[in-house]
Amino acid sequence: MNEEDDDKLVRRARALFDSSVDELDAERLSKLNRARRRALEELDHGPAFGSWTRLLPAGGAAAAAVLVALIVLRTDEVAIDVPMAPAAAEMDFELLIDEDSFEMLEDLEFYSWMELTDLEAPRQQS
Amino acid sequence: MTLETAARAFAVSSGREEQDGATTLQRQQRLNRFLAGVERRALRFAEIAVRDRDDAMDIVQDAMIKLAQKYADKPETEWTPLFYRIVQNGIRDWHRRQAVRNRVMSWFGRGKDDESDYDPVAEAPDPLARRPEETVQTDGALDELGAALGRLPTRQREAFMLRTFEGLDVAGTATAMGISAGSVKTHYSRAVHSLRAALGEHYGE
Repeated sequence: MNEEDDDKLVRRARALFDSSVDELDAERLSKLNRARRRALEELDHGPAFGSWTRLLPAGGAAAAAVLVALIVLRTDEVAIDVPMAPAAAEMDFELLIDEDSFEMLEDLEFYSWMELTDLEAPRQQS
Repeated sequence: MTLETAARAFAVSSGREEQDGATTLQRQQRLNRFLAGVERRALRFAEIAVRDRDDAMDIVQDAMIKLAQKYADKPETEWTPLFYRIVQNGIRDWHRRQAVRNRVMSWFGRGKDDESDYDPVAEAPDPLARRPEETVQTDGALDELGAALGRLPTRQREAFMLRTFEGLDVAGTATAMGISAGSVKTHYSRAVHSLRAALGEHYGE
């Protein structure tokens, strides 16, 4: 019984409210229309700002990546600037193009045996 | 970059711009449709809650703008409770400002001459924010309902109005009010009980 009364009250209240909505005057309807247009104008501004802010992390990451790349490149440049580095690189290159080095590669097994023998010899002597 | 690559990049860029333009238009159309569907009810809702037409209009307009600015990217199904949450917050802010204003007024007090001219009954706002000429034409039942709603505690009034007038379900009302679904049920049930007691057993008949 109570539930039925509650339902009746709710239905009646809703009907009254609906009728009051239907009876809105032209002045208020016009104001609502203007308010809606104003809100829709904000929609154009909102996403632009939103997408710009959404790009901030990506932009930050990109900037960080560029910074890291610059540091790495700069570090490489510094390494090349070290006076000993060109000399060492030049020496390595000379070793590589030397005819003997090719022979050494061919007899790599022999040289490694020789090295082991040299290492073990002093121990046996002592 | 070769000419072919540049042309391809331009075509992709132009296509994206066209797509973005279409998306914005679609978003505008969707939001326009939504706001056109809820604005009248929202205005009456706010008018009943604050009992002032101009202030109610301001509250609804602010809610529309905030929804467009902040929540337009949310799924459309979430717009209704979000919109009413913004409206509710606007109404609560309005009541807070009124309370502060009344307190300040009471501190400064009124002059005796002012008091003699002041008629509290004549100055009392209409519960449904109508103009005098409209009040005459309106069903008395609406007056009764508005007055009874005005006497309810805030939460009960909000729960009843959102559920009954705006047709929000329990979950939507909970989102709009920023409380749990259980609390919504409690406030709504108490509101119906209080209204029935205030308006009489045969109000709905």
